[in-house]
Amino acid sequence: MNQAGTGAHMWITSQPWRLWGHQIMAIVRQELKHNFFTRRGTWIYLLAFGPVVVFAIDAIQTPGCAPCSLDEDTSLFAATFQLYYMRFGIFFGVMGIFAWLFRGQVVQRTLHYAFLAPLRRELLVIGKFLAGALMAIVLFGAGVLLSFSLVYWHFAARGYDYVFHGPGLHQLAVYLGVTALACIGYGAIFLTLTIIFKNPIIPGIAMLGWETFSGIFPAMLQRLSVSFYLKHLSPVSAPSDGILALLTVVTEPVAVWAAVLGLLLLAAAALALACARIRTLEISYSSEQ
Amino acid sequence: MSGQAQNRIVFENVSKFYGEVLGVNRVNLLLSAGVTSLVGPNGSGKTTLMNLMTGLIRPTNGAISVLGIAPSEPEKLARVVGYCTQFDSFPPSVTGREFIQDWLRLHGFNHQETSRLAEDALARVELTEAAGRKIAGYSKGMRQRIRLAQAISHHPTVLILDEPLNGLDPKARAASMALFEALGKEGMHVVISSHILHEVDRISDEVVLISSGYIVAEGKIPDVRTEVKEHPMQILVRCSQPGMLASRVFAQNHVVEAKLQNDGRGILIRTTNADEFYSLLNRLIVEDGMQIETVAPADDDVNSVYQYLIGSDGERI
Amino acid sequence: MAVYKRTYRRYDGPLTPQWSRFLVLTRYSLYTLFDSRPFTAFVVLSAIPLLLSGVLIYLSHSPMARTLLQLPGPIIKIDPKFFRQVLLNQGWLAFLMTAWAGPGLVAPDLANQALPLYLSRPFSRAEYVLGKMGVLFLLLSAITWLPVLLLFGLQAGLEAGWFKENYWIMGSIFLAGMLWISVISLLSLAISAWVRWRMVASAFLFGIFFVGAAFANMINGILNTSWGHLLNLGHLIFGVIWPKLFRVAVDAAGANPHARRPHLPPGMVALAPLPIPLWQACMVVVVACAVCLLLLNRRLRAREVVRG
Repeated sequence: MNQAGTGAHMWITSQPWRLWGHQIMAIVRQELKHNFFTRRGTWIYLLAFGPVVVFAIDAIQTPGCAPCSLDEDTSLFAATFQLYYMRFGIFFGVMGIFAWLFRGQVVQRTLHYAFLAPLRRELLVIGKFLAGALMAIVLFGAGVLLSFSLVYWHFAARGYDYVFHGPGLHQLAVYLGVTALACIGYGAIFLTLTIIFKNPIIPGIAMLGWETFSGIFPAMLQRLSVSFYLKHLSPVSAPSDGILALLTVVTEPVAVWAAVLGLLLLAAAALALACARIRTLEISYSSEQ
Repeated sequence: MSGQAQNRIVFENVSKFYGEVLGVNRVNLLLSAGVTSLVGPNGSGKTTLMNLMTGLIRPTNGAISVLGIAPSEPEKLARVVGYCTQFDSFPPSVTGREFIQDWLRLHGFNHQETSRLAEDALARVELTEAAGRKIAGYSKGMRQRIRLAQAISHHPTVLILDEPLNGLDPKARAASMALFEALGKEGMHVVISSHILHEVDRISDEVVLISSGYIVAEGKIPDVRTEVKEHPMQILVRCSQPGMLASRVFAQNHVVEAKLQNDGRGILIRTTNADEFYSLLNRLIVEDGMQIETVAPADDDVNSVYQYLIGSDGERI
Repeated sequence: MAVYKRTYRRYDGPLTPQWSRFLVLTRYSLYTLFDSRPFTAFVVLSAIPLLLSGVLIYLSHSPMARTLLQLPGPIIKIDPKFFRQVLLNQGWLAFLMTAWAGPGLVAPDLANQALPLYLSRPFSRAEYVLGKMGVLFLLLSAITWLPVLLLFGLQAGLEAGWFKENYWIMGSIFLAGMLWISVISLLSLAISAWVRWRMVASAFLFGIFFVGAAFANMINGILNTSWGHLLNLGHLIFGVIWPKLFRVAVDAAGANPHARRPHLPPGMVALAPLPIPLWQACMVVVVACAVCLLLLNRRLRAREVVRG
């Protein structure tokens, strides 16, 4: 036991952590530079900020919102968050961002430059994942933040009270946290899919089906979906009727900490798989596009 | 790992199959410092060999080591190897300078060192002035040179160049050749694949001839030529009495053909034993007082060897 | 004086007629698609719901078979609604097939700059688009309106007098099928010409229908309206146009359980948002198709723009 501990300690101290840190930062910087603000990403910005526009129209239509009810709009925002952002907006947006990180470079025939750098390929996965997660969290986090702000700004003083003296700020923090977790969870899975499959869209769409219908499967299988964990974390429930209930209703309750930890473990497992796969990935541009 | 392997690029029984398609088969090679050229027709496996030694693809069988490092360890290998691939593609919207600097940052170099190395490399390929422009606006030759600059920017020990002369104008071509030759003389391993045979011949220390995934010959061109027994050597003799020389050489079994030159001052001999022919020539000079202007092998250049071993249609002989 | 050997002779054999030249592209694209075993399997599997529908029609007219299978009474009523439902199921399969096959028809040509090769032949851009769309029209017709018409024929053959009362359904099946095929084919070609990457084009196609539906519901919920459905092509075609074609009730305007209730003075009753009128649905579909054609016209050109 002691020997194993000493071995692990020696391994840890002998690794070039500082160099790895520099290399990861270099990858993150390059990915952000090439992918954050591009014309190609316009549709992702639309996904992230579409609801902001709709809430803004609503705010303009009913200034002051005297007859509106805070509870009703809180529920409306919860539904928008759970049914739009979590299920479609973030899902497709993250799919777009993360699929581009590796497959985009394959299509552009530039992945070999990264493979020819003196860099552990696992670091490439981690760097790209961090860059993708950062992009997704900033975009969708900003979308959620602005939408939330517009909902309560709409109520003027009542809204201010609700946010700063009521449960609003806590709800906002949870929404942003869930957004970040959704980006991390879906991002890790999509990144792995893009490394394993040449065309990750078909498994991606299969995953959309799985994420939607996993609620009807046994508890063990439900734990293999990102939405299982996210459902538990929403600060305001948005019960739905009919088929929409599949997207919101929690059938197997778990504690919040377990949901967060479970999702992070799921993401870590997906990334570990991606790291293992990338060691053997070969450059082959001929069959793409 | 033996000391010899520490300084060489070694292929041990390497095969690569793309599904059912053969890339290269049972390749055994030892490449030393200096300029080595990989010569072969399109699809013969040159790029596959280069991709194998840089770890972009993995062998189906066998083992490769580059100065004692396995290509499966890119973190070590890429510090000593620079590879200028055939892919004429670049990250979008980058300038020549950013392209090199971004790549150097992946090595872990700090800002100052990155800038210094990038400027050195740009100067070496004479692209300093154009380095601030976006690569998308570069000519093909400039794109070729910026990739070369990237490959040499971190001062590698092994430089691998896949068709590095494609798209270069004659001036840039000559400058690049001079650069490769200089790098080879500095002790670097320079591995070049090219179709420009006479140029490769001029600067190569060794050639590797490859056809249909098989290595058909390796070594110095004249040595390889001597080994090609199926094709008699051609020797051009410029002399005052070619007719007399012809009559004398026809008495020898090893001479299969003698062709008089149109100007009447030379003769092209085809012989299966060059050493015997040279001995005969010496005797004729000494005993008969024949005046010889020049004696030169006519087909020990890489072109001829390529033709004999690979054939014009790329078929292995 | 120079002497040249004239060994070159231009081709003077028979040529494919100009009017059917686009079918060369269709034929070769179909060969390529059917080289993929999973794709062939998918095409075969698409016939299963049709076979089941055929069995249902047969059972509903065969008391003997029902007795043998111990099924109580008529299983299903074979009416316009039935044919609409069968076509709807096949329509979604056709959508999946389009997402799979459609982007691969154009995107690789553009990405590999193959278009100048096509267009340097006596082959126009319109013929190129026709040739590529022909692939989708043939494939999708084969799993949508064509087999549903066969089911119609089966039903007409099994029930005397039924055809006389319901012959118009044939036109509905054909029009509904062709409308759906035209929209998804154009969308898939236009998107793949725009993004030039097959994988992203497939994702986009899914996004347009799924995210479009989610976005439409969100708009309807927040603004308490049904105008959001104008962004939901699936609803406009399946929920508004098809019901009219099959003479069945128009789908509800998409009741969103989270929709904000309108705040009215006491005593007044809120009306549900009105469904989208047919002409508006048609207009949106026509505009979507026109945008696709514009995109194709803009992107399918024998030149490559490089920005440096």
